[in-house]
Amino acid sequence: MRPEPLIPVTVRGVARDASTLSPVELQRLVPLPPPYDELDPESLWKALTPERAAQVDATLDGVSALSLRRPADPAEERRLLDGLVSGLKKLTSRDDNWGFLQQLELTLDHCTHCQTCAEACPIFLESGRNEVYRPTFRADILRRLLARYGEGGNVFKAALTGSIELNWNTFARLAELAYRCTLCRRCMQACPIGVDNGLITHELRKLYSQELGIASSECHTSGSVLQLKVGSSTGMSPAVVKDNIDFIDEEMSEKVGFAVKTPWDVEGADVLLMHNAGEILSWPENPGAFAVIMQKAGISWTMSSELVAYDAINYGLWYDDVQFARVALKHAEVAKKLKVKKIVIGECGHAHKALAVVADRILGRELSIARESFAPFIADIVLSGRLSLDPSRNDFPVTLHDPCNLARAMGIVEPPRRILRAIAPRFREMEPHGVHNYCCGGGSGFAIMSGNNFANWRMLVSGRIKVRQVLEAFARELDPAIPKYICTPCSNCKGQFRDLIRAYGLWEKSRISYGGLVELVVNAMTDVNPGFLEWEFH
Amino acid sequence: MGLVQVWGCLAFAALVLGCLYKAIRYATMPVHLRWELYPVAHEGGKAEYGGSYFEEVEWWTKPRHVSRLGELRTIAEEVLTLRAVRENNPRLWFPSLAFHFGLYTLFALGAAMLLGAATRAAGLDWLPFLAGGTPLLVVDAIGLALATAGALGLLARRTLHPELRRASTPADFFHLLLLLAVFAASWGSWIAVDRRLSLAASFLDGILGLRASPPVPGLFAAQIVMLGVFLAYLPWSHMTHFFGKYFTWHSVRWDDAPNMDGTVFEERVNRLLMRPIHWSAPHIGADGRKTWADVAGERTGH
Repeated sequence: MRPEPLIPVTVRGVARDASTLSPVELQRLVPLPPPYDELDPESLWKALTPERAAQVDATLDGVSALSLRRPADPAEERRLLDGLVSGLKKLTSRDDNWGFLQQLELTLDHCTHCQTCAEACPIFLESGRNEVYRPTFRADILRRLLARYGEGGNVFKAALTGSIELNWNTFARLAELAYRCTLCRRCMQACPIGVDNGLITHELRKLYSQELGIASSECHTSGSVLQLKVGSSTGMSPAVVKDNIDFIDEEMSEKVGFAVKTPWDVEGADVLLMHNAGEILSWPENPGAFAVIMQKAGISWTMSSELVAYDAINYGLWYDDVQFARVALKHAEVAKKLKVKKIVIGECGHAHKALAVVADRILGRELSIARESFAPFIADIVLSGRLSLDPSRNDFPVTLHDPCNLARAMGIVEPPRRILRAIAPRFREMEPHGVHNYCCGGGSGFAIMSGNNFANWRMLVSGRIKVRQVLEAFARELDPAIPKYICTPCSNCKGQFRDLIRAYGLWEKSRISYGGLVELVVNAMTDVNPGFLEWEFH
Repeated sequence: MGLVQVWGCLAFAALVLGCLYKAIRYATMPVHLRWELYPVAHEGGKAEYGGSYFEEVEWWTKPRHVSRLGELRTIAEEVLTLRAVRENNPRLWFPSLAFHFGLYTLFALGAAMLLGAATRAAGLDWLPFLAGGTPLLVVDAIGLALATAGALGLLARRTLHPELRRASTPADFFHLLLLLAVFAASWGSWIAVDRRLSLAASFLDGILGLRASPPVPGLFAAQIVMLGVFLAYLPWSHMTHFFGKYFTWHSVRWDDAPNMDGTVFEERVNRLLMRPIHWSAPHIGADGRKTWADVAGERTGH
């Protein structure tokens, strides 16, 4: 237990004036295993400059995820605070939050503050038990605000729930707190009652976005808005994405030794394959590998060049139900138009959860389309013998990172393992793994959020436990002479791993790299030129 | 009936009606979007490692195996052993287990005594041991001892552990103190005036027979008053997790029912999509008249 601070941080204290309510204390971060225990966390940290700190509110913990600017005058502050109160009422109304009302009310009503959830939260634990990262901390601010300002709020409820003052400090710090949780929901797994603090984070983000237009710019303006406007959060238009895929096809053809061609807009194909468009730009070998496998396995497949449909992402899943619905409906619409038998979702965790799970009930019979994860799909191809595979081509240490949205949110645990057991002779598990895995620290959009010093926070705090797990999985083989592979079948996780590896020097010091699952499959294919996997870090 | 009996009836009615109100409120909330979390206990053999039907190729073409026994087994283990607390928060586990087991024992005792009174009211003498006696003495003592020790342990932990103290709300302390007041009154009554619970049995006989029981000793009355306060308050607190768990686990965490062919939830969801949307951010595009269906179909670029 950490020593008590001079001014203990309390939920009620979130409203008090302080330059930083609960700073990230680098000396309290849980040490990493050797030799990485010698890495000084200061080298990864970046405090905001005084000039920047004067512009944006970082008074929660010295970090700014949202670049929230202080109100220009009392009238603007009043407008924002009134907006928050108005949003609170909508959050608990049947009209405005029917999709999540039952689970929200259950969570709001039943927390006993036993703190079992805190003992499962990697961010809280790895930070050295920083009070503001406690899962109940932000949930209780919401409860106190609802008890006082929400529908049916009264003095009696407020007295029992605890008091809170609604001022700019509360407003700004609560907004930032909504971006200090990756929605991994280990807290709900641990809770004996079934209270879901990850849900609270989701609901808080929704309140700020849908009522006040405040959200992570990477998720909103450069994310879902861009996707709906031009077709992809990467900014790629249909013409550009086709060009890029053509280029990838050419590269793959040269690499593998036979012609690879991605089909577009094929009506009646069996499979509409949807990638996180980030793969196309940042990890082209992934969509390339899919194309190789599909072709060699004789699958009838296509991609779609329609706006939105060539980008499987749906950032609204994390912060905005309306943006979420807009994208999900479009994805289903395109698949129906193409008359494909099913959508296969590529290696993107949140795309899985968005389209296969959360959107499920809003797809009526006109938009209902079968949706399948790449994991069982590829596992079936690999294990059916349709590909000629030589596991010795993957004779290097491999560990698997279970993306939260595949494992904990969808129960997809065994298929990636069945593949790895067939093609990676030196596969070993991280601990814990499967549905009890730890988030990479980039979940819920964090992997694409790097403004101000947020990237530093996710390297040092949200991603720290994953670095520990990787080092422990490869503990006996950290020698840089042995190349090692973190198999991470999710784009956002890949982005986070890329940043973690770079920040902690895992490639230089220990030759630890990362990549998707299908790349390993292609690397093992005997009718592909050897060396599909190139041991270089990017 | 005497005043104490009337109070007892009113408090019990408040408990039942309050809990029913809350349960019906949860049960009649709009159908929610899926928000399940694995492991899901009804997934049969896959539940062991947290797998799901999504692991099957073309899962929609295969029958789903839903194991209600798996759900019951998981909930029973959770209720009886507080497994989640044991695995994740071991230092809280022992006092919490004692507390809950004490409550289960006292609840079972109360239910059994009600059953005894009901049989006597029907003129049957099937369960004479429930009219007072050594078995009741023993069960009451065990239940009270466990519940009191557990509550004291939890209160001590909340008060003395700085992190837990900071994270606790006034309600968390109030509930424990209220329960300890009930237990204290119960101990007083049990030790001084009603060790074999024969007074309690005749009190219940009076209620079910709609007749006044003889005036009760002050300590016994104090027990009934405190217990009544607790029962009447309970539905408005987080202590309703004893049935709230049905909803959090079964209706949310394990609700992975797929919307096959888009038809299962279509009618209900279509009605919800026709609800007006009032969120104010510009990108929502709500104007007080538009529905969810209207705005979800828009491809706003701002």
